[in-house]
Amino acid sequence: MTPRRVAITGLGVESPLGTGTDAVFARLCAGESGLALHRTQEEPNPLCMVAGLCGYFDAEARLGRPAAMSMDRHAQLGLAAAQSAWADSGLPARGEASDPRHGIAWGTALGGEATYERGYRELFIKGRTRVSPLAVVMGMNNAAPSHIAINLGLGGACLNYTLACASAAVAIGEAFRRVRSGEATVMLTGGSDSPHAYGVVRAWEAMQVMARADEAGAPDACRPFLQTRTGLVLSEGAAALVLEDWDHAVARGARIHAELKGYACNCDASHLVRPDPAGQTRALRLALDDAGIAPDTVDYVNAHGTATREGDPIEIAALRETFGAHAAQLRVSATKSMHGHLMGAAGAIEALITVAALAQGRVPPTRGDGATLDAACEGVRHVFGQAEEMPLRHALSSSFAFGGTNAVLAFGRAD
Amino acid sequence: MDTFSLLRDALSQRMNIEPERVKPETLLTELGVDSLMLLELIFELEEKLGVTVPQDVETPETCAQLVEIVDRLRTSA
Repeated sequence: MTPRRVAITGLGVESPLGTGTDAVFARLCAGESGLALHRTQEEPNPLCMVAGLCGYFDAEARLGRPAAMSMDRHAQLGLAAAQSAWADSGLPARGEASDPRHGIAWGTALGGEATYERGYRELFIKGRTRVSPLAVVMGMNNAAPSHIAINLGLGGACLNYTLACASAAVAIGEAFRRVRSGEATVMLTGGSDSPHAYGVVRAWEAMQVMARADEAGAPDACRPFLQTRTGLVLSEGAAALVLEDWDHAVARGARIHAELKGYACNCDASHLVRPDPAGQTRALRLALDDAGIAPDTVDYVNAHGTATREGDPIEIAALRETFGAHAAQLRVSATKSMHGHLMGAAGAIEALITVAALAQGRVPPTRGDGATLDAACEGVRHVFGQAEEMPLRHALSSSFAFGGTNAVLAFGRAD
Repeated sequence: MDTFSLLRDALSQRMNIEPERVKPETLLTELGVDSLMLLELIFELEEKLGVTVPQDVETPETCAQLVEIVDRLRTSA
């Protein structure tokens, strides 16, 4: 079968920078941060950390009390983003549940960890012998796509990917392959996570990769590519994209935000946490090949850019190796500096941002003035502080995960 | 508070069911209570009343039957 072109016809987001693609993208382009100091009440050792939270998000008001009470927060955020993306696509309010060509592919790294943790507290601290009967269905990693499928009436494949920080990028890529092959007409895709369960935060702290800051410094705590970077910021949120057969979208007069042209996924197969520039380079080249685009037509890369000591220089080295002389002209930014690291949903929000950049001809920046750029991160054209206006031909979004999984998505303008 | 009132409150809080719709003879399925939600309701009543409903208890069909099961346990507790 001839490969189908894949249109992106719907976008939805819930993030530390708020809700709505245009509003979130505008704040990113202005260099605003959604990060703040977050203190909890747990005794005897409450958490105090920089975090990106969706404090505005009222699940009961947004989804209704019965639905909200039966979902973990990551699923609540995911369903809200998915509903927004579906509405944005202009597709009928509910899909045809018997249609196997309308499916979903979702990503989450931590799933219902907070739900399980609540159960552990009941058992180990309060001494109870039973937990909520809903614990299993709230905690399972495929809870979000299941709720979305039920809510939107998507009767095709209902898939969930858990691949650490590459979860949603892989979900989007695998959804893309289903539409491109003609197996699916419409795939709702993206990811969601809410990683601030006590034990999860303590585990990340133990790895010593969390950004450190006081209250005043919290909005600037995540500093990718700078000498002063101290690590990542855990954030919650969700983003969703509607991928659609190009001809199907054109035939119904849909607005097409951008085209998803290529995808690659590989594994470093070398170390659990130390990224490998060779593995990342292979992933970048495979994605370009898959998309059929020349490296020098790529104008922007939304980098994985977590602001860890080790990760950032390796990612830039892979970009230099992949793009050669063109790297000096290649705009690169790490928007995690403003929305933080959404874990399994990172690839989804960053794909959405990349699509918005192509659609609006604006490169969102890395927050800050870039004055203390790490020499090891030089060699590409960093965009710091304010958005850069320019027509973009092609753009990439990279996600590199613990475990060595690399996923790269290649996008093009809608024309 | 009596068990029926607790059940009515739980249905209202969890499922937005208007209290006037909840009568002793009302079928639980009529209120949209599925098997999972029934377990949640029993769990909530257990928590509030300090009783434990055995797993092999008969499945109640009406609100009154559910209340009766819990009340039997309250009496024997």
